[in-house]
Amino acid sequence: MTPPPPEGVAAMIRPAPVPPDSRINRDILSVMEGTSIGYWGLLGLAVFLVHVAGAIWIYQVYQGLGIAGYAHPVFWGAYIVTFVFWVGIAHAGTLISAILYLFRAKWRNAINRSAEAMTVFAVLTAAQFLGIHVGRIWKSYFILPYPNQRALWVNFKSPLLWDTFAISTYATISAVFLFIGMIPDLAIARDRAVGWRKLLYGILALGWQGKSAQWKAHQRTTLHLSGLATPLVLSVHSVVSWDFAMAIVPGWHATIFGPYFVAGAIFSGFAMVLTMMIPVRRIFGLEEYITDYHFENMSRFLLLTSIIVGYAYAAEYFMAWYSGVEAEQTAFWLRAFGPYWISTWIMIVCNVVFPQILWFKKVRTHVPTLFVLSVLVNVGMWFERYVIIITGLSREYDPAVWGVYTPSWFEMGIVTGSFAFFSMFFLIFLKLFPVIAIAEIKELAIHEKVHGHGGAH
Amino acid sequence: MPTLLGVYERPDQVAEVATRLRARGYTDLETYSPAPFAEVDDAVIEKPSRVRLYTLIGGLTGVVTGYAMTIWMANDWPIMLGGKPFSSIPPYTIIGFELTILFGGLMTALGLFLVGGIPSFGVDRAYSPRFSAEEFGVAVRCRDRDVSEVDALLRGHGAEEVTLVEA
Repeated sequence: MTPPPPEGVAAMIRPAPVPPDSRINRDILSVMEGTSIGYWGLLGLAVFLVHVAGAIWIYQVYQGLGIAGYAHPVFWGAYIVTFVFWVGIAHAGTLISAILYLFRAKWRNAINRSAEAMTVFAVLTAAQFLGIHVGRIWKSYFILPYPNQRALWVNFKSPLLWDTFAISTYATISAVFLFIGMIPDLAIARDRAVGWRKLLYGILALGWQGKSAQWKAHQRTTLHLSGLATPLVLSVHSVVSWDFAMAIVPGWHATIFGPYFVAGAIFSGFAMVLTMMIPVRRIFGLEEYITDYHFENMSRFLLLTSIIVGYAYAAEYFMAWYSGVEAEQTAFWLRAFGPYWISTWIMIVCNVVFPQILWFKKVRTHVPTLFVLSVLVNVGMWFERYVIIITGLSREYDPAVWGVYTPSWFEMGIVTGSFAFFSMFFLIFLKLFPVIAIAEIKELAIHEKVHGHGGAH
Repeated sequence: MPTLLGVYERPDQVAEVATRLRARGYTDLETYSPAPFAEVDDAVIEKPSRVRLYTLIGGLTGVVTGYAMTIWMANDWPIMLGGKPFSSIPPYTIIGFELTILFGGLMTALGLFLVGGIPSFGVDRAYSPRFSAEEFGVAVRCRDRDVSEVDALLRGHGAEEVTLVEA
C-alpha cells in the first residue's frame, strides 16, 4: 500500500468531535419527553370513556339494537351520523399532505404530520361504527367478497359495498402515507433515543440513513402517493354521500351530494385540526414551528368551505322548491320548522353564520377565537349529518309512517366513546412519534441557510 | 477497500463534490443527508427513481382486478338486481377506481422499500447521528493508492473534516 501523505494521516487519527445536534431536532423531539399529571389525567379519562363505550357495545351485542333509540321508520341513527362525521374529519389530513403537497404549499410542513395522524385515527374511529350499527356483528364479514360455501358473491351495485372499498382503501393508504412520511423522522429519533425507545425507533426506522437513493425513492414515493391520494380523498366522501344520494328518500336524492359532502368534510377536518393543534402548540411551546400564519391559512380554508357548505344548504332548498316534488318540499319545510328544527338551526348557525367572522384578519390571527370557532364548527358538522340522515328518514313519502327518533343514552355513550377513542390515540401519538415533520422543517431551514432569504414559507 | 468520509454543512457543496468525484471515476460513493435535496440526489443518481414503475404496475393491476373481480363475481352466480345488467360498468368503476389507488399505493410503498434498500439491519460504518442533525456526509470507497487524492478532493470542496472510517 502506498502510504498517504503525513498531514492526511494526522487528520484521520484526530478523534471525531461530539456531533452538534440540530435545534429543530431538540425542539420537536422534546414533545415526546416526559409526561405530566395532566397528560395522564386526560389519557386516563379517554381510556375510561372508551371502556364505558365498549361495555355499552357488548351490552348492545347481547341485548340487540333495541337499546338504541331507533323508532320506525328511522333505523339509521346516531351511529351512522357519527360514522359520517368521523369520515369527514379524516379528510383534512390527506388534503394537507397530498393536495397541498402537489400545490407546493410549503406551509403544510408544520401541520401535515399531526393532520395525517388524525386522519388515520379518525378513519379507525369511523370504521368501528360500521360494525357498531349493524344488528348482528358476527355476520359483518359478509360484506367482504370472499369464497364461501354458499358460493354467493356480494352485490357490487350496492353503495354499501362501494363504501366498504372506499373506507378500507382510505384507511390503508392514509396509514401508509403517515408511516412513509415518518420514516426519516423515526431515524432521527432512533439516533437520539435510549432504552426501549431506541429499540422501537430502530425497528420502525427500517435502517433509514438518508442516502441519495433513499431520499430519491422517498421523494418519488411521496409524489406518487400524493397523486393517488388526491382523487382518493375527493372520492371517499363522495362515495359516503352516495350511501344517501342513491336512495330515493326526500332530502337525500340529490346530485349535489358528492361535492357538498366533500366540502363539508374538508370544513370539519380543518376545524378538528385547529381544535387539536391549538392546545398542542400552546402546551408544548411549538409557536416557532406552528405559527399564526399556519392557523390563518387553515382558517381561510374554513371560510372557503363554510361558504361552499352554505351554498349547498341553499341549493338543496332551491332544488326542493324548483323540482315541484311535494315530498321534497315537505321534507325541507319540516327540516327547518318540523320536529328537528333545533338541529337544523344549530347546523346553519355553526357552519354558515359563525364562520363569517373569519372575513376579518383580526379574527383569523386571534387564536383563542379560532379555537372556540373550531369547536363550534365540529358541533355544527355533527348536527349537519344528524339533520341529513334523521330528518330525511323520519319524513318520507307517506305521512302515515312518519316517526320521530331520539338517540338513546346508550347511543350517546358510544358516540362520546368515539371522541375518547380518537383523543386516546392522539395523546399516545404525541408521546411516541414526532408531531411535526422534522426532516421537512429542516429542508426549509437548510435551504434558507444556504440561500439566505427570509420570509415565511 | 478504505472508505473516506467527508462532512459538509451545505447541500450545494455535497452536490459539487459528488459530481466531481464521479467525474474522476470514484463512483462507489454514498451521501447522507438530513433532508431531501434534489441537487444532492441528482448529483449521485441521475435517473429518476424506479419507484414510478412500481406505481404504474400497481395501478394497472388494481384497475384490472377491480373490473375483473366485479364482472366475474356478478356472472358467476347471476342474480338480477333492479333490472340492471350483470356486468354494470358504472358501479363497478368505483371498485376499479378504489383498487387502482389501493394497489398503486401499496406497490409504491413496496417500490420505496426495494429501490431505497430498506428495511436494512443496522447502519453503515460511515453513518453517524450528525447526519440526522443538520450535516451532510459523503462516503467514498476507493483503492489504497487513491486515498490521498480523494482526501484532497473532499477537502477541496469545503469539508469540515475528513475521516478514514474503514482502512
